Amino acid sequence: MRQKYFVFKCVAASFLFFSGILIAGDQCITCHTTVVGDKPSEQFQHDIHSKKGISCADCHGGNRNMEEMEAAMNPKEGYKGVPKGDAISQTCATCHADPERMKKYGSTLPTNQWTNLQTSAHGKLSTNGKEHIAQCITCHNAHGIVPVKDPASPVYPLNVVKTCTKCHASATFMRTYNPSLPIDQGEKYRTSVHGMLNAKGDPKPAVCSSCHGSHDIRTSKDAKSSVYAVNLPGTCSKCHSNAQYMKDYKIPTNQYEKYAKSVHGTALLQKHDVGAPSCNSCHGNHGATPPGVESVSKVCGTCHALNADLFSSSPHKKAFDERKLPECETCHSNHGIVAATDSLIGVTAQAVCSRCHHENDNPKGFAAAKAMRLMVDSLSLSGSVATALVNDAEQKGMEVTEAKFKLRDARQAHLEMRTMVHAFNEAKFREVIDKGMAATALAKGEAQGAVDEYYFRRIGLGVSTLIMSLLAIALFIYIKRIEKKQAEQR
Amino acid sequence: MKPTLKKIYDWVDERLELQDLIKFMAKKYVPVHSHSIWYYFGGVSLFLFTIQVVTGILLLMYYKGSEELAFESIQFIMSKVAFGWLIRSLHSWTANLFILTAMIHMFSVFFEKAYRKPRELTWLTGMLMLFLLLGFGFTGYLLPWNELAFFATKVGTEITGVVPIVGKPILQFMRGGDDVTGATLSRLFGFHVAVLPGIFTLLLGAHLLFVNRQGMSEPLHYAETPEKDRKTMPFFPNFLLRDLLFWLIVLNVLAILAVFFPWELGTKADPFASAPAGIKPEWYFLFMFQTLKYIPAQIWFIDGEVLGVLAFGAAGFLWLMVPFWDRQSSAGESKRFVNYIGLFVVMYIILFTIIGWLA
Repeated sequence: MRQKYFVFKCVAASFLFFSGILIAGDQCITCHTTVVGDKPSEQFQHDIHSKKGISCADCHGGNRNMEEMEAAMNPKEGYKGVPKGDAISQTCATCHADPERMKKYGSTLPTNQWTNLQTSAHGKLSTNGKEHIAQCITCHNAHGIVPVKDPASPVYPLNVVKTCTKCHASATFMRTYNPSLPIDQGEKYRTSVHGMLNAKGDPKPAVCSSCHGSHDIRTSKDAKSSVYAVNLPGTCSKCHSNAQYMKDYKIPTNQYEKYAKSVHGTALLQKHDVGAPSCNSCHGNHGATPPGVESVSKVCGTCHALNADLFSSSPHKKAFDERKLPECETCHSNHGIVAATDSLIGVTAQAVCSRCHHENDNPKGFAAAKAMRLMVDSLSLSGSVATALVNDAEQKGMEVTEAKFKLRDARQAHLEMRTMVHAFNEAKFREVIDKGMAATALAKGEAQGAVDEYYFRRIGLGVSTLIMSLLAIALFIYIKRIEKKQAEQR
Repeated sequence: MKPTLKKIYDWVDERLELQDLIKFMAKKYVPVHSHSIWYYFGGVSLFLFTIQVVTGILLLMYYKGSEELAFESIQFIMSKVAFGWLIRSLHSWTANLFILTAMIHMFSVFFEKAYRKPRELTWLTGMLMLFLLLGFGFTGYLLPWNELAFFATKVGTEITGVVPIVGKPILQFMRGGDDVTGATLSRLFGFHVAVLPGIFTLLLGAHLLFVNRQGMSEPLHYAETPEKDRKTMPFFPNFLLRDLLFWLIVLNVLAILAVFFPWELGTKADPFASAPAGIKPEWYFLFMFQTLKYIPAQIWFIDGEVLGVLAFGAAGFLWLMVPFWDRQSSAGESKRFVNYIGLFVVMYIILFTIIGWLA
């Protein structure tokens, strides 16, 4: 027992001795904890920097070994006081942007945060030109900094939204930099699937930094931003295409693959048409969630407004609602949606109508689908014939501007037909088809006239050449006869 | 002559005394020699001028000389007006053939030394008409208001602008402002259909009058040829009928060109669009355009383009004044040096036109 007590005394004495040396070595902490008793010095004792042996003086300057305040906080000793504005981040960057120093402290952290911050929206915007929006301490705190993976860190996944919304939910603050930017991202996020899982303590679902990045956050209009329209599907797919990462959530991970091949994906990712829908166009961004069955046509209708309106007033609306069928998706699918073709209409194997309208079960719908397909085919055929005639006339060098205008009208009617089909009303559909047929008839008439004119010109030229040649020959003979007569007279 | 035709002829002759005119024409003789073929190019140029006047007047009935309507009116002429396509194509093709035959006529006169005394004024009026023809080509080119014409006119007027002192005012006068706009179109249209035809008709009248007064020029060697060996043919009916035969052939060629190669309209000019690649002037300006491209930007202290334009101006003036400096030809002596100059000019024009065409 005595022996054990002796060992305990030795360990306690050693602890007091070495901590005494340490504390005695940093007079800043000694005074600020014992004499001043301020919060920063108390927080700093739990700070990762303190644990790595970094002193107050490393950021604030001064001499950590001097007991006297005037001597320790003497500007001649390099004392800077509390850094202000951009000087805060510059102070952090003296170590965090220096790979050698970071290596000395055994850190594996990247050293480009400062560079990234300067290129970000937070590092670029300023109201006074001296201080930019965010400094390192805005998100990481000043004296109680802990590693990102520490749940106490303000940038730990479960705390990130709270940290960001400190500014982004403040109308007063946001007004000074970007008055048009909404301030409800946090609220929306809480209603999203990501937000709800996050609220349950799951750190895996996306938080602000998962999509927007951390130090290099750019505005969504910046082509380099991870949430710029063209880059967004790739950003979402970082998690949603990772089967391992998503295995707990039991949802498919092939959305990006399908989307990239879809009409929307091709337009956005290959043609860089930023007007084409991205993931957030249908699912929302901060409030991301899959649209419900009843919302599908509304979601698609934000762009395809006329189609959605026609569908809503069509007989299909009631039938779809009763069967709980997702409206647009039933015929067009969702992520892998391809460009609609005429073959979707009708009762053939490729057509979607016949999936529900069987000849025996639903003869009326079957007949209507069949009739509509016939009309479509007639218009297509008539359009092809007219186009071929116009091309033929043009190749013959004839003026076909007007015929081309008519062809354009016919194509317009074809597109209108593609929209009108969503009314699922044979009479209205026929009206549009008739308009297209009339335009193709006019184009054919114009083109045929031009082709006829072409042959008329050639025949006319042949006839006139023949007349002129005969005249020339006659003239030549006449000249020769005159000259012969003149020679005889001489 | 058939009795009916004879009756009509007698009726007209009784009133207009055609017999006197025929006697007058029959007294005129055209020299017949190995280069007689060149005599026909004057007549064919006159024939082409007549076609230009007729087709031009017909086009005027539908053409609208404004920035908004010029292109559309030509489009209308070509697609809706009965035989409008033929009239427009004939007008465009004839314009080119006219310049070609006029140039051949001019060079044949040059090499035959037909400009020598006493035909200096005939040469001068002919040369001035050739310059006016180029003016016709330049002013008419813009009238369809298509993309190619718009930018070619822009380049063409810019070249005029480099002439020292008078260049800038001439450029502004031609354009009706600083840039090629609807004002330029109205201006060039006015020149094309009123100013140039007026002056041209006066010069043509004088030119024909001089030819009639002086008769056809005889080659230099005729002076040493005995009179019995000097072959001739009566102007009427022999030469005139041969002229008619040539005109018939040319008319047929024109009809073939108009039907098989209708003159394209292109796309409407857009002053805000950038110039299409490879803008070139019409073929008759190509040799000058190509030369200007080869001249260095700066020669000594003078701007290369200015030097080029001034050099062409000086060369044109010297060419115009050839009857006055080539005294030996006027004295009946054959001077090879002048032929060499002429040969060099012909080769130069052909070569640079081909290079410009292929460039």
